[in-house]
Amino acid sequence: MSSDTHNDMHANETAPTYGVLAEFDDVNGVIAAARKVRDAGYRKWDCHTPFPIHGLDDAMGIRPTRLPWLTLGMGLAGVACALLLQWWTNAYDYKLNISGKPFFSLPANIPVTFELGVLFAAFTTFFAVLGLNRLPMLFHPLLTVSRFGRATNDKFFISIEAKDPKFNASATIALLQAAGAGHIETVMGPKPSATKFPGWLVIAASSVFAFGLIPLSLAAKARFSTSSKPRIHIVPDMDNQPKSRAQTANALFADGRASRLPVEGTIAMGDLQEDVAFYQGKQGDAWLKGFPAQLTISDALMDRGQQRFGVYCAPCHGVSGLSDGTVAQRAEKLAEGTWVAPTKVTEPHVIVQPEGQLFNTITHGIRNMPAYGAQIPPQDRWAIILYLRALQKSHETGVSDVPARALPQLN
Amino acid sequence: MNTVALNSHASALLEATERPHLVQGEQTFSAVTETVCGIAERPTAPPGFWWLFGFTACLTGLLFTLIGYLIVTGVGVWGNRSPVFWAWDIVNFVFWVGIGHAGTLISAILFLLRQKWRTSINRFAEAMTIFAVICAALFPGVHVGRIWLAYWLFPLPNQMSMWPNFRSPLLWDVFAVGTYASVSLLFWYMGMIPDLATFRDRAKTHTKKFVYGIFALGWRGSNRQWHRYERAYLLLAAISTPLVLSVHSVVSFDFAVSQVPGWHTTIFPPYFVAGAIFGGFAMVILLVVPARAYFGFKHLVTTRHLENMNKVILATGCMVGYAYAVEFFVAWYGGNGYERFAFMNRALGPYAWAYWIMISCNVISPQLFWSRRARTSPIMMWIVGLFVTIGMWFERFVIVVTSLSRDYLPGSWGYFEPTLVDFGMFAGSCGLFLTLFLLFCRFLPMIAMAEVKAIMPQAHAHGDH
Amino acid sequence: MIAQHTETPGSANDVHLGCAASKLRNVGALLAVIGIGVAAFVTLGAENGVRHFMHAYLLAFSYALSITLGALFFVLLHHLVRAGWSTTVRRIAELLTAAFPVLFILFLPILGSVMAGKPVLFPWADVQLMHDDHLLHKKIAYLNANFFAVRAAIYFGLWTLLAVYFRKKSIAQDAAPSAELSLSMQRVSAPGMIAFALTTTFAAFDFIMSLTPTWFSTIFGIYFFAGCLVSFFATAILLMVSLQASGRLTAYVTIERFHDLGKFLFAFTFFWGYIAFSQFMLIWYANIPEETEWFLHRLNHGWAYASLALLFGHFIIPFVGLMSRHAKRNRKVLTFWAGYMLLMHWLDLYWLVMPAYDAETPVFGAAELGSTIGFVGVLIACFAHAGRNVSLVAANDPMLSESLSLQNQ
Repeated sequence: MSSDTHNDMHANETAPTYGVLAEFDDVNGVIAAARKVRDAGYRKWDCHTPFPIHGLDDAMGIRPTRLPWLTLGMGLAGVACALLLQWWTNAYDYKLNISGKPFFSLPANIPVTFELGVLFAAFTTFFAVLGLNRLPMLFHPLLTVSRFGRATNDKFFISIEAKDPKFNASATIALLQAAGAGHIETVMGPKPSATKFPGWLVIAASSVFAFGLIPLSLAAKARFSTSSKPRIHIVPDMDNQPKSRAQTANALFADGRASRLPVEGTIAMGDLQEDVAFYQGKQGDAWLKGFPAQLTISDALMDRGQQRFGVYCAPCHGVSGLSDGTVAQRAEKLAEGTWVAPTKVTEPHVIVQPEGQLFNTITHGIRNMPAYGAQIPPQDRWAIILYLRALQKSHETGVSDVPARALPQLN
Repeated sequence: MNTVALNSHASALLEATERPHLVQGEQTFSAVTETVCGIAERPTAPPGFWWLFGFTACLTGLLFTLIGYLIVTGVGVWGNRSPVFWAWDIVNFVFWVGIGHAGTLISAILFLLRQKWRTSINRFAEAMTIFAVICAALFPGVHVGRIWLAYWLFPLPNQMSMWPNFRSPLLWDVFAVGTYASVSLLFWYMGMIPDLATFRDRAKTHTKKFVYGIFALGWRGSNRQWHRYERAYLLLAAISTPLVLSVHSVVSFDFAVSQVPGWHTTIFPPYFVAGAIFGGFAMVILLVVPARAYFGFKHLVTTRHLENMNKVILATGCMVGYAYAVEFFVAWYGGNGYERFAFMNRALGPYAWAYWIMISCNVISPQLFWSRRARTSPIMMWIVGLFVTIGMWFERFVIVVTSLSRDYLPGSWGYFEPTLVDFGMFAGSCGLFLTLFLLFCRFLPMIAMAEVKAIMPQAHAHGDH
Repeated sequence: MIAQHTETPGSANDVHLGCAASKLRNVGALLAVIGIGVAAFVTLGAENGVRHFMHAYLLAFSYALSITLGALFFVLLHHLVRAGWSTTVRRIAELLTAAFPVLFILFLPILGSVMAGKPVLFPWADVQLMHDDHLLHKKIAYLNANFFAVRAAIYFGLWTLLAVYFRKKSIAQDAAPSAELSLSMQRVSAPGMIAFALTTTFAAFDFIMSLTPTWFSTIFGIYFFAGCLVSFFATAILLMVSLQASGRLTAYVTIERFHDLGKFLFAFTFFWGYIAFSQFMLIWYANIPEETEWFLHRLNHGWAYASLALLFGHFIIPFVGLMSRHAKRNRKVLTFWAGYMLLMHWLDLYWLVMPAYDAETPVFGAAELGSTIGFVGVLIACFAHAGRNVSLVAANDPMLSESLSLQNQ
């Protein structure tokens, strides 16, 4: 049994005593000693062992930790967060229809919910065990004792802190000696001056913090100001792709054109438009008068015409065909000089035009009216003309045109 | 010959009824410390180490060069073409994620099952898990093509006011693999804290003391700390157990929620998990057999440890075989013509070679482990481990590629041809895995010293109840 | 480390059923006769009564079969992994597996209905339907009466063989400790496990999945297996508690073993939830008509309540209830959960079987209750008969001392 004082501090400054450290050679020794220290009524003391020892918790009288409750609580919080996140993003803030499944579909939300529950629980467990164990603690008086290095190797230690109310240097050492300790030493705490926070660290930390603000403030500036320049394009991505545009030159083909003509003697599906009356509004060389034979004049066709007229024509020609559409109105207001006002559908020269000519006008456009052939299928063009005729009629109608049975409703 | 047979029978009898010591020889606590620390404390690496490291580092360089090439050029540098849009990228992803399952299984499930033999290999396997998951995450990461938009995978507010689609299994993957990687890392690191403290306390140079000291967080082996630490370890094990099941299940959902013949089958989740454990254990064998000879810890990782792992390989191999069989049977039993075709096509179609490689490696080769001699012979187990690893890669290949190459429309069938980049990136990912692994072997505690010490006979108090 | 035990704890009479065996056997047999008799009486006269009776009978039959299969698996697993902790519990499982031959005899009415070509239970027993239906037509090679009979014979043959082998060897070890016997059981357990896996899977396909012959699910065998394990661990806890209530086994089975059994009950409840979710979610997500049909019946009409009851009752509630170690280490609480899980396992089988009888409304009455009580009686009778002259604990097993001393963290 030996006892000596461990102190490598400067003599001119007195370091406080941290406590006493006793060394044991085997598991049984440390357990027996722990029981004695516990029974002696010490509070601030601990055992240090290279591995967890079964039965030492009981010998020391350690109460079970509350860690499991923390883990459970945070796991449940993770579950709740995940459900809320999935509901809010996919079923509330931006509804996405995925293969007809409900916006909030629990079966499909279970995997992410489970994973987040686990993630929260695991992180909580890890950080809680560090926090409860007061780690990281890179400096500790015990770590300055050279023999203590074997606490992580093959020796067993008991440390009793001087802060413990029952601590009394000689009595405590005697107790440990009686408990069978092989080597006992007094451990000194750090000198008061050594516990001061180093000044250079303060400067370093504040400059890192200041520099860290720079990117943030740049981002904030960009967020609250406008710029006429295009956005910075770090990766050109798919903006510049090698491809052939229509009607451009291309050296790949012998004739130097990018667009390919159909093979001679062939025609694309649906392009065989032999019926000139239906597809061009012609009868021989003259414009077709009336409607093509294959068209059934019906209420349905009239309704379709009205609807298509509303979509394609009314913006300029106006809902009633009097050239007061919103586009026309705005163009008048701008008075730019290049604008040619749209023709009223009630103009006499329009009324006398054969249906075929009207069809041609819609198909190919006239003056600054664009061609609508590419947008409106032939059937719909004819429907529009049918409706046009009804519109024209509505402007020159009188009481004589109203059927007798409907007259009472007018009054 | 007769005596040998008698002896082996006698030892089998003994084993049937008694639990032998897991650590061989007359071991003391300090001897365990010496063995494990000795490897990392050597001033120079063992002969040939840097040659091996150089080789794997070159492969890693190849991987990152090819990733750069892919990012600049596009995913067309791979052989992925219509109709096979998922090919080696996804095969490699599932392969590596699967490998990553053994680590957490050994640390968590075997821990809960009180399998003490795990202590010698768990650190090793956990490290392997982390590195395998890193390799795995690379592939879907670059397979999205425009990787600078990868943040779209996360629910971050963005300029489009749009959110990820949480009903997509691909997003589940992001969460599952992300969670798995984080939790495995925590588990691995937490287990290592006491051993890092040992390294710190033995460090001879200031640099080492500083670096190991930072990572040891000031661990003092205090019993009040051990008490919470053990409880936390148990909790993490309990949390990780369903997590391991979930990760490969979610990976299997990527396929199984679809309607592609050969992909949509309900057994996928448990079958993938069994396959992952199978492949992961094979990889542990592949690494630990040479490592324990090379670094000299045969008395800590004994033949008994290896034999136990081989038994797990045999058992999971049988489970995988069971899944193949049931899948095949139900494809027929279901009566759906496309499903029936998909399976006949696997076995007899243009990819039959891959299918039969898979069957012979995964189902037939582990059957060797019925023989005790094969289970205990390092060379035999290493060869079987290699076969299983190959077989598990081909299993994923068979699932991903055969189903895509021939689905409902015969008019759009195709045949997948890998490019040199495909080969290069797979080899490169093996290089990355081994590089990280070699660094781990050189600088970190390869064996969980504290846990090994805790199961040694002298770690238990006498007459304590 | 194996702790040293110089003397066997307890006296001799507390490990035997003794005279209670014959009493218990008679009670069980009486329950069986009355239960199944009542079920037959209330149904067979009514319209559609044969169908109703047969479904209720199959439900109760699968209930008993699942517990017995769980017991067989437990024995196989014990030897396969060379377990220590479960040694004191193993004999209970071995005695439970004595029910296989009796269950085979009780299977004959089901087999008979198929052999007679009557689709009272399995629609595929109707040969005409099989030929006419486009989808079923493709399955004739498997779903036909003769092959069904052959398969059933193989299943029950193998199960009985395994059960008898392990029970005989284990009881033989009671006479004298023998490593030789331990070794041979361990050797047989591995191939036994493979046989178990295949037969249980196909039995689940044949006896339950083929009730809806157009439906299929590759995971179904594992789903059924998960239920077997849940019900076995619950049964083992209840049996152990009631044996101890009568003063038996008290020295052998400590709270530590209850804790272990509770852990497995918890684990397999979770496993069941995992498998059930995998099966449901994949079918729900892909939404392929021939698969969805099966769940559609169970998610509509009255069956929706049964499905919800399973989700909460079979998974969420017991998961929360059994999570804490205090629940697993308190005999009363654990007994409650064991009984509860047995009830839930019954609901699970009810949910699997009965929609085949009436897809619109869940029927519950004397037929279901009676036949279930009847089959529980069968299990009790078989257990008591098998246990009449043997010790209730594998007293000379070399691993016994480990099982006695092992403690949970």
